[in-house]
Amino acid sequence: MIQPCAARPFHLQLKHSVLAAALGVALAAAPAALHAQTAPTGPIEITTGTSPGGTPDVLMRRAAKILNEQKIITNPLVVQNRTGGSWMVAGNFVMGKKGDHNIVLCIAQPILTTPITQGLPTLYDKLTPISMFIQGDLVLVVQPDSPVKDLKQLVELAAKRERSVKVAGAQSGSTDHMVAGLVEKAGKVKLNYVPFDGGGAAQAAFLGGNVELMTLTPSEALPLVKSGKARILAILSSERSAAPELKDIPTAKEQGYDIVWGQAWGLAGPPGLDADTVKFWDNAIAKLVANPEWQASLKENFLRSRMIPAAEVKPYMQKLHDEHLALLRDLGLAKQPAVQ
Amino acid sequence: MDALASLAHGFSVAMTPTNLLFVLIGVTLGQLIGALPGIGPSAGMALLLPVTFGLEPVTALVMLSGIMYGGMYGGTLTSVLVNVPGEAASVMTAVDGNQLARQGRAGQALAAAAIGSFLAGIGAVTALAFLTPILSAFALGFSAPEYFLLALLGITATASLGTGSAVKAMIGATLGLMIALVGTDPIQGTSRLTFGSLELLEGIDFLPVAIGVFGIAEILVSMEQTQASRAVRTRLRDMWLTGKDWAECRMAMLRGGLVGFVIGLMPGAGPTVAALLAYIVEKKVSPHPEKFGHGALDGVAAAESANNSAAHGAMVPMLALGIPGSASTAVLLAALVLLGIRPGPMLLTEQADLVWGLIASMFVGNVILLVMNLPLAPLFASVLRIPYSYLAPGILVVSLVGAYAISLSLFNVGLTLFFGMVGYLMIRADIPRAPLVLAVVLAPLMESSLRQSLMLSEGSPAIFVERPLSAVLALLVVGSLALPLFNFLLARRAARRAGVEEALSHSSD
Repeated sequence: MIQPCAARPFHLQLKHSVLAAALGVALAAAPAALHAQTAPTGPIEITTGTSPGGTPDVLMRRAAKILNEQKIITNPLVVQNRTGGSWMVAGNFVMGKKGDHNIVLCIAQPILTTPITQGLPTLYDKLTPISMFIQGDLVLVVQPDSPVKDLKQLVELAAKRERSVKVAGAQSGSTDHMVAGLVEKAGKVKLNYVPFDGGGAAQAAFLGGNVELMTLTPSEALPLVKSGKARILAILSSERSAAPELKDIPTAKEQGYDIVWGQAWGLAGPPGLDADTVKFWDNAIAKLVANPEWQASLKENFLRSRMIPAAEVKPYMQKLHDEHLALLRDLGLAKQPAVQ
Repeated sequence: MDALASLAHGFSVAMTPTNLLFVLIGVTLGQLIGALPGIGPSAGMALLLPVTFGLEPVTALVMLSGIMYGGMYGGTLTSVLVNVPGEAASVMTAVDGNQLARQGRAGQALAAAAIGSFLAGIGAVTALAFLTPILSAFALGFSAPEYFLLALLGITATASLGTGSAVKAMIGATLGLMIALVGTDPIQGTSRLTFGSLELLEGIDFLPVAIGVFGIAEILVSMEQTQASRAVRTRLRDMWLTGKDWAECRMAMLRGGLVGFVIGLMPGAGPTVAALLAYIVEKKVSPHPEKFGHGALDGVAAAESANNSAAHGAMVPMLALGIPGSASTAVLLAALVLLGIRPGPMLLTEQADLVWGLIASMFVGNVILLVMNLPLAPLFASVLRIPYSYLAPGILVVSLVGAYAISLSLFNVGLTLFFGMVGYLMIRADIPRAPLVLAVVLAPLMESSLRQSLMLSEGSPAIFVERPLSAVLALLVVGSLALPLFNFLLARRAARRAGVEEALSHSSD
């Protein structure tokens, strides 16, 4: 006895259950595009590993809002914060939901870095890749009255005062820490990296004049620059930003130092997610990325939304992982070679 | 004058029917969320974030911040009535408030907490309205060295926090330090004492410890006693504050409010640390320190005033600089971003309507909360007329659901039960539980800020006396250590002299 579902046409549900039964064997052969409209039923959870208010949390909530409001996805999307273990609690929660249609994991840097720094099994290659679709730049800032005017002078200063140019940042192994490591590597110098309890605390330490250098996102840095509390040395993207507020900031590369680093966020499904649901997400994210409201809201915060579709995301994640692994090894933070 | 005009404008924004309604919704929800253990104000605010999407930014913000300070009022309820801290910042209230409740004075404890929270809240919003730019500069003067000395000041007070032997209090504090060591090393990032458990990687959350050693342990102990022996029998009219109670509390509220506000300003501390330190300060200056831990009304008043004014104080770095001073203000910042407003130093000037509307709404919200809490205090307190044997299963369920809600995992439920056992054994061994809780809160702050300070100074301990603020704090630490010693020596000398005189008078016979 099959109860007709009010939300979805009956035949689709039938097709859905047949598909679920034939999962794996049939799907490898059948072109998934035929069933492109097969949406999961019921609410969908987007799992994040940060507490409410963290950047990935904010981004996912905003994406969920637009996906629902624009009826790109009609299932209610619920952003759930499963904190603990530097994203590993969230990661493992989704890992345990093999083939579940109603859950996706927000991919943020700790999904890659925590396994490396804690010597745990990697997750990125076991989850079902869906898409990476948000990118962010980083800038290096110094105190407004600092004698340092560009990266070259910073490196000279650091060479003169070895291990004594103070850098504030978030926890050990964070983006901030890795950027400091890149500066050390590119300039062949050593800095004094002081980890604080999160980005906010580090920013407070910087604004209180306790440290000399810090890594910020453009949306954090620009209000500080505008009110004369910080000065930007370089943007760490491969090319200058197109945003009018940022276009005059030289890249590190231009200044002769190969420091290119950024942030990226996206979604992945639990292991063994069927190709149909991946396709469903792929379509939804393509529509989201094309949505002017979404683009505008990201632009406001100096973020970009370029979609790396499901078909290409695997090698992309692999490359991202290898870069993080290499850098964390250089910093002496990789607990074990996570090559598998 | 400028600020006054802006504030008047702020009131015109806050008093529109819609905004007024949402302040009411916010503080009511905050009161409920605060009363439920586990779900703190920040988690409650996050749950309601999606609801705010369709609203005007001001309306959304007044509601969310209403939850934040409403939670500070609500947390008192469960702490006093059933000895389960409704949220982390009410933990000291659970110590003394519940003792008061057992003496049939729950009504007084709740009333003192409500009035204290109200006065401290209004004082804090007034400071917020007129002094934010100056205060934000002051807040930035605090960094790692100051946090270390502040935490040290709290930790050195643990020995005096017990009600019996100082050694037993120190055993409690050491247990707390051991709990605080579990997790990721704050500087090196390596895992410590986690035994491969992912759940322990970010350390043991404070709430399972507090809910366990207070709430659950209490239930376990009650099972040893005969039924119906603990129902409190007092009439409603005996539950109001008397003139004597008020005289006892009023200075405690002032001191607690001040301490709380200053600590709330600092981006690294927050309401829980504020409540702990205010309680310690109050015990030091109180004319009857021996009552602390056995039901001191002024202790409850100080801690509750402090956590509410700290919640308001945390708005200063958030509004003036865009830096979250607490978990709750981090959610408020997220709400701003989601509403399309970029927080930062320009917020005060660029979004004057929003900021002043918000500040004015906090005056309104605090008044609503007082009106809600004060008349109802005796009513809530009469919950205790239900015999404890009927109340206990309910407390257990609420505690465990709360523990689950912390991070939606059963692991924390297990942890809560484990700490319930620890708390039970502590009660049996007569080891005070407040020092343990205090150490769990302060130890991580103390450890990471000590190491950060020494990294900033490249190893020189001079950093703790060179900076003006840290020099003052260092003096306070030395003073708080030396004073009891000095008193002790003085007392001994007096005793010896008395003894000598007695001996002399004897010999002359």
